[in-house]
Amino acid sequence: MREKLKQLSEFKWLLSRDSRKGMNADAIIYANKKLIQQAEDEAFRQLTNVACLPGVINPVIAMPDMHWGYGLPMGAVGAFDSEEGVVSAGCTGYDINCGVHMLRTELSSMEIMPVLRTLVEVMFRNIPCGVGAKSSLSLKRKDLEKVLSMGARWAVHHGYGIPDDLTRLEESGCMDGADPGALSKEAFERGMPQLGTLGAGNHFLEIQAVDTVYDAEAASAFGITGTGQVLVMIHCGSRGLGHQVATDYLALHKRAAARHGITLPDAQLVCAPAGSNEAMDYLKAMKAAANYAFANRQIIAQWVRRSFTEVLGRKWEDMGMTTVYDVAHNICKLEEHVVNGKKRKVYVHRKGATRAFPPGHPDLGEVYNVAGQPVLIAGSMGTASYILSGTEKAMKESFGSSCHGAGRAMSRKQSLKKFRGEQIRQALEKSGKAVRSTGYKVLAEEAPAAYKDIDLVIKSVDGAGISRKVARVVPLGVLKG
Amino acid sequence: MYKYNILDDLTSDVMFEAFGADLKELLEASAFALFSVICEIDRITPSQSFELSIEAEDEGSLLHSFLSKLLTQSEIEGLFLSEFDVYSLRNGPPCKIKVRVQGEGIRPELGNTVVKGITYYGFKLEKTRDGYRSQVAVDI
Repeated sequence: MREKLKQLSEFKWLLSRDSRKGMNADAIIYANKKLIQQAEDEAFRQLTNVACLPGVINPVIAMPDMHWGYGLPMGAVGAFDSEEGVVSAGCTGYDINCGVHMLRTELSSMEIMPVLRTLVEVMFRNIPCGVGAKSSLSLKRKDLEKVLSMGARWAVHHGYGIPDDLTRLEESGCMDGADPGALSKEAFERGMPQLGTLGAGNHFLEIQAVDTVYDAEAASAFGITGTGQVLVMIHCGSRGLGHQVATDYLALHKRAAARHGITLPDAQLVCAPAGSNEAMDYLKAMKAAANYAFANRQIIAQWVRRSFTEVLGRKWEDMGMTTVYDVAHNICKLEEHVVNGKKRKVYVHRKGATRAFPPGHPDLGEVYNVAGQPVLIAGSMGTASYILSGTEKAMKESFGSSCHGAGRAMSRKQSLKKFRGEQIRQALEKSGKAVRSTGYKVLAEEAPAAYKDIDLVIKSVDGAGISRKVARVVPLGVLKG
Repeated sequence: MYKYNILDDLTSDVMFEAFGADLKELLEASAFALFSVICEIDRITPSQSFELSIEAEDEGSLLHSFLSKLLTQSEIEGLFLSEFDVYSLRNGPPCKIKVRVQGEGIRPELGNTVVKGITYYGFKLEKTRDGYRSQVAVDI
């Protein structure tokens, strides 16, 4: 498939719809040459699979962090017509509303360094993480129903944050139209003990410091004041509840695809016609899971604030610990985009892709109306992360989307063969970072060298104009599940 | 001792293959492979158990449903699983199994990673000269 790529510009490549039989749309990949060379041939094939689905809107998009996954490759966007297209539980994936929440502080890295290890230990104690971690919250079914309907609003209402936080979250931390009744008993049972847990795998929590500011005006609007400023990044999703919703509705969409005569180019790309009961029921359940994830990150953010207070002996408000933003990077949304010169409602599936709306977009509300949406990009463990801003070009070209992270370059098996967790921890600590994890294996799997170069990924989306660099941040302390 | 391999495939997630002389052994080997991804399976003491009954239209759907239900139920019960006994199997359609599984309460230090789901990507259950082979990609 790679041999059919046509370079359109330094950061933009085309896989035209005649690359293989059955494609209903082109695929566009945003990446520089090196990242294109790093991407697996199978990832390109997966991209063309999505272009074969009915009602797909031209083009299918891949980001520079694209890599071989299941169904839709990680780092991709597939949009479908809201009447002629599909809604796909398979395209969204298992970790519904996996995303990134960022807090700012008015602390400098110099102030933090003497207490960094203590802070990481206290957060490790206060924020449950790892396989099977259970929350200190004890939710009853009725409570969870409210979480699923209210999202982060439930968290703030129960003292986990302040109303201002909600103005700085994608969807204000709550997707309308969620229906707890669309979730199975198993989803409830998995969700009740896990609200306020980080999870494991690639999920993490980092204390970071601003390393470079590229756009002082946008940075100022996002609350970024300059280099050395301490920030906190929380990367996690909807936990077992979201995984169960995906499992339940993937099975439903498998049957729906067969019932509606949809030919699937990949068994994982199960879907249902837009407007069908199967599509609408999935969206109600997916939104409920998304709301759980918004609440989860909001609660963890408040525990971060309390941990800072516990260690530094100051009120979190006095340390300026306000929210920068919270983004979803695994989700399906009905959005308005211009298609062939006309405004149309389309179902945008982002799997490992971040919404990147420009200044003035009505969904941003007052806070980021002028600066545009903060686009939070989580790098790999121990390497840089980025804060970008959304652009008009993203709206015109990539369904208002940008990349989501560094993107894996090496399989987990290769990582485990090549690295030892203890060595990774020692290397990170030698470079001055404080690291805490439930085990060493996850450190080997998530070794920085197993990922692509985040700087190249960001150079690609910035160079292509689908988001703009605002600031680069580097980790000081890392918590892994 | 079950026969399985973690395949060097899929950059983002994990794919494994498992083998069995018959369907019963294949189901058990596939479950063992799954929990070897989730936890340090050789260090799990089988001290608690639960049972599952599963029905599916064909053998492939049976395996997929079995692994998905193991993920769900082990999380609800808070167990890392290490022993799997398919003690009743009726070939279909529909295929039906009854399974007794054992494990121990989750200790974070024995956890490897969270498996989010059993995908349909590259999913296979095939008959071979020596019995059965499965291929399963899981979301990490």
